[in-house]
Amino acid sequence: MRSSRRSFLTATGAAAALALTGSLPEIKSAAAGWTGRPDRRDPFTLGVASGDPLPDAVVIWTRLAPDPLAPFGGMDRRPVDVEWQVAEDERFHRVVRHGSVKAGPEASHSVHVDVRGLRPWRHYWYRFRVNGQLSPVGRTKTAPTADTQLSKLSLAFASCQAWWEGWYTAYADMAKRDHDVVFFLGDYIYEFGIDRGIRPHSNEPYITQQTVTLDEYRQRYAAYKLDADLQTAHANAPWIVTLDDHEVVDNWADEAHPSAPPAQFRVRRANAFRAYWEHMPLRLAQLPTGPDMQLYRRINYGRLAQFNVLDTRQYRSDQAYGDGTKAPGPETADPTRTITGDAQEKWLLDGWSASQARWNVMAHQTAIARLDTKDGPEVLVPMDTWDGYEASRNRILGGAAQRKVRNLVSIAGDLHRSVASDLKLDFTDPASATVGAEFVGTSISSGMDGEDLDAGGATLLRENPHMKFGNFQRGYVSCTITPQQWVSDYRVVDKVSVQHGTVSTRAKLLVEDGRPGISEVQE
Amino acid sequence: MNIPRQTVIAAGTLVAAALLGSSSVPKATTSDVAVSVAPEQLSVVGLPCFPGMLNLTMTNTGSQDRYADLTLDPTGPLQLSRTLFSSWLPALDPDQPVSAPVEVRVPRNAKPGSYKIGVEVDRQRVTVPVTVNPLPPKGPGDNLTLGEQATASSTHGNFTLCGAVDGDKDSEHWDTLTGWNDGTRAAFPDTYDVALSTPATINRVELYTLDSAKYPARVNGLRDWDVQVKAGDTWQTVDQVRGNTVGHVTSTFAPVQADAVRILCLDGNDHTYSRIVELEVYGS
Repeated sequence: MRSSRRSFLTATGAAAALALTGSLPEIKSAAAGWTGRPDRRDPFTLGVASGDPLPDAVVIWTRLAPDPLAPFGGMDRRPVDVEWQVAEDERFHRVVRHGSVKAGPEASHSVHVDVRGLRPWRHYWYRFRVNGQLSPVGRTKTAPTADTQLSKLSLAFASCQAWWEGWYTAYADMAKRDHDVVFFLGDYIYEFGIDRGIRPHSNEPYITQQTVTLDEYRQRYAAYKLDADLQTAHANAPWIVTLDDHEVVDNWADEAHPSAPPAQFRVRRANAFRAYWEHMPLRLAQLPTGPDMQLYRRINYGRLAQFNVLDTRQYRSDQAYGDGTKAPGPETADPTRTITGDAQEKWLLDGWSASQARWNVMAHQTAIARLDTKDGPEVLVPMDTWDGYEASRNRILGGAAQRKVRNLVSIAGDLHRSVASDLKLDFTDPASATVGAEFVGTSISSGMDGEDLDAGGATLLRENPHMKFGNFQRGYVSCTITPQQWVSDYRVVDKVSVQHGTVSTRAKLLVEDGRPGISEVQE
Repeated sequence: MNIPRQTVIAAGTLVAAALLGSSSVPKATTSDVAVSVAPEQLSVVGLPCFPGMLNLTMTNTGSQDRYADLTLDPTGPLQLSRTLFSSWLPALDPDQPVSAPVEVRVPRNAKPGSYKIGVEVDRQRVTVPVTVNPLPPKGPGDNLTLGEQATASSTHGNFTLCGAVDGDKDSEHWDTLTGWNDGTRAAFPDTYDVALSTPATINRVELYTLDSAKYPARVNGLRDWDVQVKAGDTWQTVDQVRGNTVGHVTSTFAPVQADAVRILCLDGNDHTYSRIVELEVYGS
């Protein structure tokens, strides 16, 4: 067995885990020839973002990258002072917080400022300045205080944005609608690409090449974040993010992936996590320590809603029966297998025991509801969703029922299709109790245009009586939550293969307070 | 060397980025990252699809996990697929090397001679000598596609476009070292073209499709294809292969003038991908 020579792996906080490159000589950047004259290139090519709002705080983010696809984003390898401002108005007449931080090469010259001392449940505007150059202005919003009886919350959730498979038109629509917060539920980047894609430059190595090393993951994030619609969506609302498989590699499970033995895979995971943190508006609490990252966390919107943001990749058992789509069996039912890991499962259940929220939301990667994909009596279910981890599903849904969790709602992605379902205690028995509602959102672009209802979607609707709605186009979900009801508005794009497709509401689904499951589908 | 754990709180504002700053860190006198490059020297030629390959390795020999940046600085006509390799490096016992490849290319008109690539991590520098050799002969009896520019309808992300003209026809090296695999699953046709460096009269094409112990041709190899040659602006089919189940197929045809050769892939034995390990073209 390999062992660590050092102590802080288990002992101390994330900051200590950073190995520093401060001793590196300063070399010329990719934009060679710069010799100390003021750099007039725009450093804010990747936009701005904010995230993880609290009643008194929000993280604001940017990354300095004047030549975003070049090594070090085209930055010289020296730290740079970045000034920031947070104001109560978009013209910055009333600046309430400001400061200066150093952005250095060890974090890709990214900036994560955890702005404290803000007032609850109000909009703020923020911007950055480097060498007299101003960033775009971002708008964000704090959460309400814990005891607030919030009358209405507006949120959007999205996932799966394969760059070469379509334009991010859904984000342009998302930004036009006024959301208090946006959830991103995984597959922000893809670690691979296909060299014949929808967009120009789809065949460039910065899109297609397998990302393994840290410089490669950093470059992939830069390539994706150059998209103007994505930048607009980030700049309009705070995001709460979690990751799924493609931020690392297709269908990884804890330390298991067929591409490499665990010791080698841990290095890839560490590189992927590092680049992820650098490019997301996350707090220092989420900074990875090598291949480990504390991503599951809880965010409250007063008494109205509690969001449990899950991580069902990092701690899961390897997929049953070699992954793929298989019949359920002893392996999928094995109580020693888990999709959340023991600690996260306990954290989730304990949190529910203490929750005073009207709506208790799981914001996570993939479908909990059973998805029988095979017509007729034979049952074939995906091994990568909660179907492959039935014991986990029973413990979580059973645990929610035992604790009489009020208004359980699951929001997820991964499937590249919209699927709305009742969550059942026993999915094999239609008469079994419904314990919650699940809204799986489709992809932003992954899978290209799609169609309203494909053969696979028709089969799902026939074979899964708990499923109430399906659609196979691209888009996102816009939700309005009040104490009385939850409304999920499935926004779909007619085409992502062309720029400026048309976005419309495909269906509205309602959940009523005190009545588990989906109570109405308006098509 | 590590930063002591610290909390920076100023005026109610926790500045996360400050914890990541490195400006105050004292400079190391020696590095705890061992660097190696394999091979230690390299020879390349100015063929467009025939890069030299170096494997870069960093090993953490210290007592703490860290991140490190390896930079590459080529001289003369050398063109690198990357000039940076950054990674997390765990401090483990025994040591765990972390590697990444870099491709080295030179233009066809590069002047033969001696060049070098500087490889640097922290303050340590390793120099890799690179010899640019004259272009290989492409006369009668020589494989005219070796290292020449390939283009394809698509290429799967795990493969390189040049994998079928790299002189390696060993199917056991499939996926990791050689071969071309298209990028569109279960969609045919696919095309794989190679442009000849100068127009030539050709009469034979040797196609090696995937045929290894693990992936036999009758299960995973190319099944149906046309061999086409281009002269001027027109493509002409010179052979058709149907129902193939073996790893190596020779197409011979009447001598024809060609600028380029295309394999028009119509189906594979598993009906998913087109797979070519090597494509060779000969003249009379």
